[in-house]
Amino acid sequence: MASTIKSLKAKKFLPMLSDRQNRFENGASKLPNFSDQASVIAKALHPKRQYLTVESVKDMAEDCKSYSLVPDPERGTQELAYFGAGKYLTVFETIDGMPVTRAYSISSSPKDSLNGKYVLTIKLVDGGLMSRYIFDTWKEGSKVEVSAPSGNFEYQPLRDASTVVCLAGGSGITPFISMANAVADGDEDFNMILLYGSRNSKNILFKDELDELCKKCDKIKVVLVLSEEKRAAKGTEKGFITAELIQKYAPENEPYSVFICGPQQMYAFLDAELKRLNLEKKFIRHEMFGEFHNPASQADYPEGIPETVKIKVTIQDQTYTVEGSSSDSVMQILEKNKIAVPARCRSGECGFCHSRLISGKVYVPKDLEYRRLADYKFGCIHPCCSFPLTDLEINVPVAK
Amino acid sequence: MKTYDVIVIGAGNGGLAAAATCARAGLSTLLLERHNIPGGSASSFVRGRFEFEPSLHELAGIGTPEDPGSIEQFFNRIEAEADWHKDNSTFRLIVPAKEGDTDTFVNENGVEVTIDARMPVGFENFSRKLDEIVPGSYESAMKAFDLSTRMFKAFDAIGDMSDPKKIFSILGEVPDFMRMTSHTLNEGLDALGMPKKAQDIFSTYWCYMGSPGSRFDFLYYMAVLHSYVKSGTGIPDKRSHEMSLAIDKVIRDNGGDIWYNSEVTRIIMQDGKPAGVVINGEKKVFGKRFICNSYPYVAFRDLFNIEDVPEKQLKMLNTRENAVALTTVYLGMNKTKEELGIKDYSVFIAPCSDSDEQFSLVNDYFSGYCIINCLNEIIPDCTPEGTCQLFLTSMTHGDVMRDIRPQDYKKFKTKVAKDMIETCEKALNISITPYIEEIEIALPPTFCRYLNTPLGTPYGYFLDKWDSMIPRTIQYMKDQPFDNFLFCGATQERGDGYGCAYHTGEKAGNLTVKAFKEGK
Repeated sequence: MASTIKSLKAKKFLPMLSDRQNRFENGASKLPNFSDQASVIAKALHPKRQYLTVESVKDMAEDCKSYSLVPDPERGTQELAYFGAGKYLTVFETIDGMPVTRAYSISSSPKDSLNGKYVLTIKLVDGGLMSRYIFDTWKEGSKVEVSAPSGNFEYQPLRDASTVVCLAGGSGITPFISMANAVADGDEDFNMILLYGSRNSKNILFKDELDELCKKCDKIKVVLVLSEEKRAAKGTEKGFITAELIQKYAPENEPYSVFICGPQQMYAFLDAELKRLNLEKKFIRHEMFGEFHNPASQADYPEGIPETVKIKVTIQDQTYTVEGSSSDSVMQILEKNKIAVPARCRSGECGFCHSRLISGKVYVPKDLEYRRLADYKFGCIHPCCSFPLTDLEINVPVAK
Repeated sequence: MKTYDVIVIGAGNGGLAAAATCARAGLSTLLLERHNIPGGSASSFVRGRFEFEPSLHELAGIGTPEDPGSIEQFFNRIEAEADWHKDNSTFRLIVPAKEGDTDTFVNENGVEVTIDARMPVGFENFSRKLDEIVPGSYESAMKAFDLSTRMFKAFDAIGDMSDPKKIFSILGEVPDFMRMTSHTLNEGLDALGMPKKAQDIFSTYWCYMGSPGSRFDFLYYMAVLHSYVKSGTGIPDKRSHEMSLAIDKVIRDNGGDIWYNSEVTRIIMQDGKPAGVVINGEKKVFGKRFICNSYPYVAFRDLFNIEDVPEKQLKMLNTRENAVALTTVYLGMNKTKEELGIKDYSVFIAPCSDSDEQFSLVNDYFSGYCIINCLNEIIPDCTPEGTCQLFLTSMTHGDVMRDIRPQDYKKFKTKVAKDMIETCEKALNISITPYIEEIEIALPPTFCRYLNTPLGTPYGYFLDKWDSMIPRTIQYMKDQPFDNFLFCGATQERGDGYGCAYHTGEKAGNLTVKAFKEGK
């Protein structure tokens, strides 16, 4: 007999319909209760907010303090979200009615978070709004609100070399302290060569902890690089972190990764130095740039831009018109006008502030350009790194 | 404050389509989304100098300018603007040889395999190629495509019908349609006399819907395969984010409101029916009708008092099975595809050839089943010069996470990704690992985070033979919780897929518009 579809019975079809409804009829009348660890993990690692209490404050150096933060169960945070070493927390504060956020790398280890502790090590920035506020107001018992751990500045064994030369400048040491502890705890597995640049021996953060880590774990090596010391003490280097210095300490005949975290001017300097080493791009990773200031200093910034601009912003069903300086980012202008904006990294990278530009023009520094291709086509911007060139009309999601 | 005609909960593909349909029909429309961007699965993300496509393999519904497919038609209908790149291949299936296999040969990659099938576009071409690999399969394949061509008309005619009587009148004219929908893929291909090995190749796309040959109905599988083989597939030029922003624009241009970062945390009930929503736990907005792109389980658990949920809905939740989940690995490579030795857009690497055997492996964290896509094959300049991007997909079940603690998750992800990458390296006899410049790994928790689905499934309910597409379609209205609250998205009649989700959203939108027109 020829093979044909006719050998299948068409009359099987109608009973399917009643069968389906009958099966439903026999189901239990309650909400199903099944274990869903995938959702549990997602919620544990990415809470919307974490409500914390300052447990203690420690002076680290002149103008630098470490804040130990623990969960505040009364406001709903029972446990801290675990994280990969290198991640940051965004701190939410309201200063004089102005909603302000800043991202700070977590300096404590991932393991500490399981024991209910994060540490943020914060340097007082000249003219820095948030760091000044934290220095003045965060005391033992202060209530603090932070994001879930975020960011991509982490070691990835499938991508990075087995040795990482970490270049830290000043308070840029914070993610590396977390990484070094993670290596010592066995939570990360790589050889860490930390070149840590400070001005002088008084400015070195975590000196004792670094000594301790080197003693405890043979995968960690630390070289202090001091720019203002006249003579280098034994085991330290004087001057700046340069290509030669990296070469001196990096493994000779095997690939190595370079991770960089420090002040903005250090990135520009080190990028030029690293170029001389001809490393593959995949082996160079920067921590986020940080908030960008003074766009007019950029070579490609257009001329004749008005000093002040108006922004008409719609958030859900509310519309406001505000004024601000064209040297501030759209995000800063809104915040200075007491309008909360969704904010996380403030460096263009995370895209959390993704918004729609309805009319007007903005300038985006090219190092902070992380928009998606379709964003250009449909006029979407990241307000944290967009500087108004004209009056603007924008639509911004509600702060979260 | 104004009461919206319709509030759409969730801006996934279904929600976007629903909101666009309602806004274009002149209804005052509010679309609410908990994330900061639209699309759900249809999105993109940037790492370093790469922008990745998070979920899309290809769109079967693009067609040709002369004969546009369902997605292209939908985009035309709502006047949304996206640029497509066409792919004129379907898939390549490689089944590496195992110890004890007898029917093996060494393929062009120098790998010993039992199957290496690179299948072309076009019914005739496809069938001829199948016959080359498995002699004697041509006739059965052509019969299957002949059926699908005839069935497609009925399938199209049913479109977004919700009246069972109308659907029955179409079905009554085509008994083969009823034969196909009431039998499984395996039963259908057996009836056509297709040799087993050819069936295995023919069934390759089962994983796109997550239901294997003994449980997936023949009709729906043929509709899926038909749309791929007929005229090839398409990919948006600027990742799926382009498609989602295009529909976002349509909604706004037609007077609709879209609020991102605006999670519905409660449904406000009045007289036993939804009447409004609470957003982010604070803000109340009222509406006359609702379209919900969330999963019913999640909606009933999180948004309703359980006593307000119709009993039937709870019974349905307890009867239906959540579909499979995925693990995906995104790789930005610092070599070109030529340098890596990649010649195909889409290669399915399977540890065994039978779809049910493949399906039985998903209960492991990695089954050895992996699809590798290289977007540069279709969009050569989708990454900077000297680079390319790869996208690996494997099926799993959300429950494989049961023993993983949050603090173990990072290491577990890396382990799964390593296994997947090595499987591809071996099956294609190429080297990937040394050239990874960027990597991102998504496991079921990632899908939970971004899609908020039970067990991280992006596929809705398992498309089982008793809960297949046509019965779901006929009983759509019967299965909705309230007459002013309709679901759309992957949990509805067509299961997962961009085209399917757009379809259910547009249908829910049209039903909502119709209800207004009829003064209900």
